[in-house]
Amino acid sequence: MKHKKVFMWLSILVVFSMIFYLFFWMLTTPYDLFPSDPLRAEKMRDAILSIVSRKSIQMLAMIVSAILISSTALVFQTLTHNRILTPSLIGFDAIFISVQTAIVFFFTSSSIIYLNPYINFLVASGFMILISLSLYKLILKNNRNHIIFLLLVGMVLSTFSRSLASFLQNIMDPEEFQSLTIRTEVSITNMNTSIIGIALPVMVVIIVLLIREFKHYDVMSLGESQAISLGVSYTKKMNVGLIYIALAMSISTAMIGPISFLGLIAVNAAREMLKDYKHFPLFIASSLVAIIFLVLGQGIIAETGYLTTVTVLISMVGGAYMIYLILKENQS
Amino acid sequence: MIEMKHITHAYGEIKVLDDVNLTIKEEKITALIGANGAGKSTLLGVLSRLLTPATGAIYLDGVSINQMKSKDIAKRIAILKQTNQLNIRITVKDLVSFGRFPHSQGRLKDSDNMKIEEALQYMNVKDLENRYLDELSGGQRQRAYIAMILAQDTKYIFLDEPLNNLDMKYAVEMMTILQKMVKELHKTIVVVMHDINFAAAFADHIIAMKDGQIIEEGTIDYMMDKAILDHVFDHDFCIAGVNGRKVCIYYQQKETVQETDI
Repeated sequence: MKHKKVFMWLSILVVFSMIFYLFFWMLTTPYDLFPSDPLRAEKMRDAILSIVSRKSIQMLAMIVSAILISSTALVFQTLTHNRILTPSLIGFDAIFISVQTAIVFFFTSSSIIYLNPYINFLVASGFMILISLSLYKLILKNNRNHIIFLLLVGMVLSTFSRSLASFLQNIMDPEEFQSLTIRTEVSITNMNTSIIGIALPVMVVIIVLLIREFKHYDVMSLGESQAISLGVSYTKKMNVGLIYIALAMSISTAMIGPISFLGLIAVNAAREMLKDYKHFPLFIASSLVAIIFLVLGQGIIAETGYLTTVTVLISMVGGAYMIYLILKENQS
Repeated sequence: MIEMKHITHAYGEIKVLDDVNLTIKEEKITALIGANGAGKSTLLGVLSRLLTPATGAIYLDGVSINQMKSKDIAKRIAILKQTNQLNIRITVKDLVSFGRFPHSQGRLKDSDNMKIEEALQYMNVKDLENRYLDELSGGQRQRAYIAMILAQDTKYIFLDEPLNNLDMKYAVEMMTILQKMVKELHKTIVVVMHDINFAAAFADHIIAMKDGQIIEEGTIDYMMDKAILDHVFDHDFCIAGVNGRKVCIYYQQKETVQETDI
């Protein structure tokens, strides 16, 4: 019952955010949107339509990314037995940027691997899966319970990948560098919606597959030995989960760029609101929270004339929240 | 029947289990004893497939568990490690319901709910079913975990130091319940234990390990022997009889009592 209430309020907020994002600009625009002159009225109608449809695609990209970011954060926290770290905080999005840079560096920007968004996506996420699996085998497997250690790994990893990327960019041909920025300078204000055609179906498929895994993840939150005792093939589920995380992070980073703290805020807010450990309700609530943060945040920022970006806003809120969570964890 | 054949396991260069062969006695409580690092927990881990041994195999009724599905093994073998900290908040009832996972895969049927109810009653945690685990005392929490294992409805139950952090009263209560489970529910239980006197009082069979090998095994009467225990623990034991039971004393014996302690 309590869950239903939370879901209802969040859904209302989501709908409000969407309407706000799509239509609020009409109220503040200095132009007369419904001129009396029939010729101008028709032109205006076309303009409104094109703005709304552009905004709809952007919003769709944000929603897809929000769902992916919050669900990966949720699964990642179960797999690593902590409630603070998320894939972005451990450097997954930085790895994505350096993979893109490496592709241009080694295959040039005129190669099909770079130009075709679909092939590019497949190759980049393939690399991400490879890197995250080996990362897990080498480091995470034996240090799951050490949050501070994992944070350290994340810091080293993201600094390393960023440095590697900027090093490659420095010694790169200037023209190559120019075309690389299309992929690496993606952000929420400069979205890459060209891959929405692949991102949306991929998201739907992995979310459906993921939801079927939730019952196992519920058991896995009891800890490794208890999960094995209850018949969960722990290592297999772990690898599948990591592949999913790598894939989802590739999609969301490719579309809206890195947003470090969104997953952290969404998942922890969902936990606070529901006071539940089951993955399915947490997934629903955290996705809704992430959508509200992204869409409403971006809507408000667009209305203020881009004084700042929603990424900065989320980092500010999320950073403060994370410090609070770490302090709380230390006390208990 | 569970058999271990030629099990060897190593962490890096260090051999923790060295060619261990073992058949678990059915419908008995078997206590695994030995000094720290003797390989007891590793043996239990291998027995319950938490660890994959380097060589050798475990046979469950003649079939190697490597060839069985994890889900099917979970219907016959349950293990409880030392209760470690959970980072989720969960009620007793939810925890016990997890015990049905191998049977229900998350969808509880009426028969599952009945088993959960039985387990809650059996472990005397029915009145705590809506309490959160972190609100309970160590003894209550341990009972809740055992209730989960009971709900799992397996023939074999392996417990890794279940008496850790329990005071004497709860420890006795726990062992009495285990005895009852063997007698009434026909379970086969293997327990890793530190307190030899507890093992002697409640187990039916004792297996002693040292340096990754089983060096002695037998009935309580046979195992509670000065020569054997001295050898197992490299320590000086004194065996005494109290109320017709053998008890060992392993501290401050006459010749080692130091004046300064008095």
